[in-house]
Amino acid sequence: MNEAAPLPEAAVVAEKLTKRYGSLTAVEDLSFSVAPGEIVGFLGPNGAGKSTTMRILSGTMSGTSGRATIWGVSVALNPAGAKRHLAYMPENNPLPEDMRVEEYLTLRARLKDVDPSRVSERVRKVMDDCDLTRRASGRLIGQLSKGFRQRVGIADALLAEPRVVILDEPTIGLDPHQILGIRDLIRSLRGKMAVLISSHILHEVEQVCDKVVIINRGRLVAQGRTEDLRRELLPEISFTLVTRADEGTLLAACRKIEPAVFVTALPSADGWNSFRISLPTGSPARETLAGALITAGISLREIAEDRFGLEDIFLAATRRTPGDSRRS
Amino acid sequence: MRHFRTLLAHELRSAALSWNTWAAGGLFLALMGGIHFFALIEASRAPSDRTPVESTLWFFWLPLLCVLPLLTMRTFAEERRSGTLAALLTTPASATAVVWAKFLSTWIVWVVFWLLFTLFPFFTVQRLGTPGDARLGDPSILWGGLCFIAVSGLLHVAIGILCSCVTRSSALAALLAFICLLAMTAAGGAMESLPIESWEWLGWLREPAAHLRTFGHLQDFAAGILDSRPIVLYGTGTLLCLGLAVLSVEGQE
Repeated sequence: MNEAAPLPEAAVVAEKLTKRYGSLTAVEDLSFSVAPGEIVGFLGPNGAGKSTTMRILSGTMSGTSGRATIWGVSVALNPAGAKRHLAYMPENNPLPEDMRVEEYLTLRARLKDVDPSRVSERVRKVMDDCDLTRRASGRLIGQLSKGFRQRVGIADALLAEPRVVILDEPTIGLDPHQILGIRDLIRSLRGKMAVLISSHILHEVEQVCDKVVIINRGRLVAQGRTEDLRRELLPEISFTLVTRADEGTLLAACRKIEPAVFVTALPSADGWNSFRISLPTGSPARETLAGALITAGISLREIAEDRFGLEDIFLAATRRTPGDSRRS
Repeated sequence: MRHFRTLLAHELRSAALSWNTWAAGGLFLALMGGIHFFALIEASRAPSDRTPVESTLWFFWLPLLCVLPLLTMRTFAEERRSGTLAALLTTPASATAVVWAKFLSTWIVWVVFWLLFTLFPFFTVQRLGTPGDARLGDPSILWGGLCFIAVSGLLHVAIGILCSCVTRSSALAALLAFICLLAMTAAGGAMESLPIESWEWLGWLREPAAHLRTFGHLQDFAAGILDSRPIVLYGTGTLLCLGLAVLSVEGQE
């Protein structure tokens, strides 16, 4: 890494990116940025335009309009310059079947302008980091399992210590142990490299990423920190409770402390009734609800505040029409 | 042309380890060995103006059409199919460097095949000597012919590379290369055999036809006649094909 180079405000900038295939618009007016050292999750349903956007950012595909920069270098005007700061692992992670892992990484290091005197050292380092040294270094890539192939792809991405790493579905097809390993590896990059990662495993993105960018039908629908998006997209507070009381009694008890409450019946079993109680944002009843219900003589077996995960945020964001999108 | 040497070394290594190269090499040596054997048999039966080496070289079109497409077909088509070409282009290596490295490595393999062919006449002369005809041991015909193969091979390999760039199917790339090389090899002769003299409106074809006579070029090279026109033709044709190949690789999405 060239430490003397000035630090840009954003490591990755996509500005009004648009990609059209004839009459089909894959990506439209998409704008977002990734700060240096930040890990950003890039989410969207299948066909939302994630891979297309990543390919435009990596310079393997040209956009129809808009601007993409990597570490301040325009991908369209200076693709070689942009690629010097970037490593990109495409979705299916294509690798030559007939090369050995170490041999392949050595070739890639040379092509990525790693100082010739440091090639061996870097290859050994990324192989250690990706746990390839012991079990895969001398093997043909064609003989490796899916998990090890993904590791080779990630090792390749980290070889030249790029400023920006773009990973398209890096954990696809991996078992839980392998996912944990890759997650730890990506987490270890925080502060060192800007990472843009697309994944369908939302729990994994939530665990690893500082920020998420959500697109739908080629357009931005939400971006920001998970907590901020949770507040924006899922403003209501809700509780799930299990009780002997019926819906009418419960609603009456709740309305005494919060008139704007909603009660929804959930599937019940064993003579117990389950309900979801929704309160408006900022309602003081959030803190007094359980006590108020007990005081009202309602027997409770269980009461818990619902924690909305990234999955709920994702569903809420992708349900929004693109015209409502937040462009922060 | 950054990274050209790295890519060339990689391509040469891949070619040396590829079953495809060894199969093509085996086919080439079997074809040329067979042709040379029959040329020797023919020469022993009746006197001829041509030496066995000349007669064998006259059949250069056979490995050109049957073996060269096998060498060029996988260069880009296979990499496009598997996605490794796109992965390669995510590095700072340029499309020009990639195309030239693949072109030069394939040309080197092609020339090596022909150098291996020289072992047949060499061992023939070693074993049999030059009974009754000193021309049998004259290496100038062989080396002149090989110079033609090397120079024309630049364009032939470039055509094969271009054909491999435009498809994801190796088989289709081989078929395209076969058709293009057949058309190119036969074009000069076919045009010369047309009654151009009697068709005034075809008069403009006379000059290009004279330039495209591939077998005439072989004859000139084997006779030691160094004419710059075929060299310019093959050189510019090579640059044109490789330029189109670079555009094709850069334009792949």
